[in-house]
Amino acid sequence: MADEFAKGLAIFMGGGLAWLTLAGWYRTPSFEGSGVQLVAPAETPSTIYGEIGVVLMDIMAWFAVIGALTFWVVIPAIDEIRTVMDERSS
Amino acid sequence: MTEDTTDADTDEDVRTDGSGPGIVPPDDETPTWGERKTRREGLARLTYEYFERARSEDQELRQESSYVERDVLAFPTWPHEMIRNLALVSFFVGMIIFLSAALPPHIGPPADSSSTPAVILPDWYLYWSFGLLKLGPLNPDISLLGGQKLMADRTYGVLANLVVVGFVAIVPFLNKGSARRPVEQPFWGAVGMSGVVFAFTVAVLSVKNLVPMDSHLLFDLTFLLPVVSACLTYAVLRSMREGYMFNLNRRYYRLRPPK
Repeated sequence: MADEFAKGLAIFMGGGLAWLTLAGWYRTPSFEGSGVQLVAPAETPSTIYGEIGVVLMDIMAWFAVIGALTFWVVIPAIDEIRTVMDERSS
Repeated sequence: MTEDTTDADTDEDVRTDGSGPGIVPPDDETPTWGERKTRREGLARLTYEYFERARSEDQELRQESSYVERDVLAFPTWPHEMIRNLALVSFFVGMIIFLSAALPPHIGPPADSSSTPAVILPDWYLYWSFGLLKLGPLNPDISLLGGQKLMADRTYGVLANLVVVGFVAIVPFLNKGSARRPVEQPFWGAVGMSGVVFAFTVAVLSVKNLVPMDSHLLFDLTFLLPVVSACLTYAVLRSMREGYMFNLNRRYYRLRPPK
């Protein structure tokens, strides 16, 4: 159980850090003042690296959320269900 | 002590209470059991009896059990501790290098000393003190003075700092802190939670111009929310207490089964 939590936490932190960095590059006009940070509409990047970065940013955001939910909720739930099924059948 | 016990002990087994053959005290300053027993008075005696009783109980339990203990007192600094410390240090240094390289902070224009900014605020960790300067509505009007206030609002705010700091200073004398977790003393847990919440609400009050809320409502909430949170905390902790005591008893008797 602790392993599952650590895996989910690692995915959440790693994916979150990657998303944070890329969103700081592509979706933050300025860190100064009271403007929108990290979630401002992304500007159209002019280079191929920029396009890859914008795509990777969304991938990382969903990876952090879905990966953490998988290890914290889905897999433990499946284990619980399997245990209950085994107890019922035996 | 060791010479006595090695001579006196007939069994050659290493004893699990730290005495017996093969175990040498670290240096000459280690008090022997005889020296410990000479402390016959007052709190020292009481402490000695308490620890001696706990130690002898543990020793009996260990002798009854079949578990073989090794006389490891600690792990060596190198490599065991240093490997862990190096891993932690590497992580944080790497994080600092990564963030400073990937998201370098914006360096703004130099400060202009000839113009005053529109919003002047202290650092965030002083917001609570700044909020206490805005307690003007609590400053009582004395009817004897013809409705005048006894002191200026700013003086009142500074004195409010003394009240808060004084309360924080008094709490350790009111409660000696024998509880190790809030559920053991729900009342003081509630007092602590109300203090935490009040620190937050009074910090929000200090920036009331920036909070999108009616400032009178915000002022009332500043003092209502700590009370509400105290009641909630007390109710929750009080309802947790029975289960906590049940678990404690169960663990205690699993460790030291009744004879």
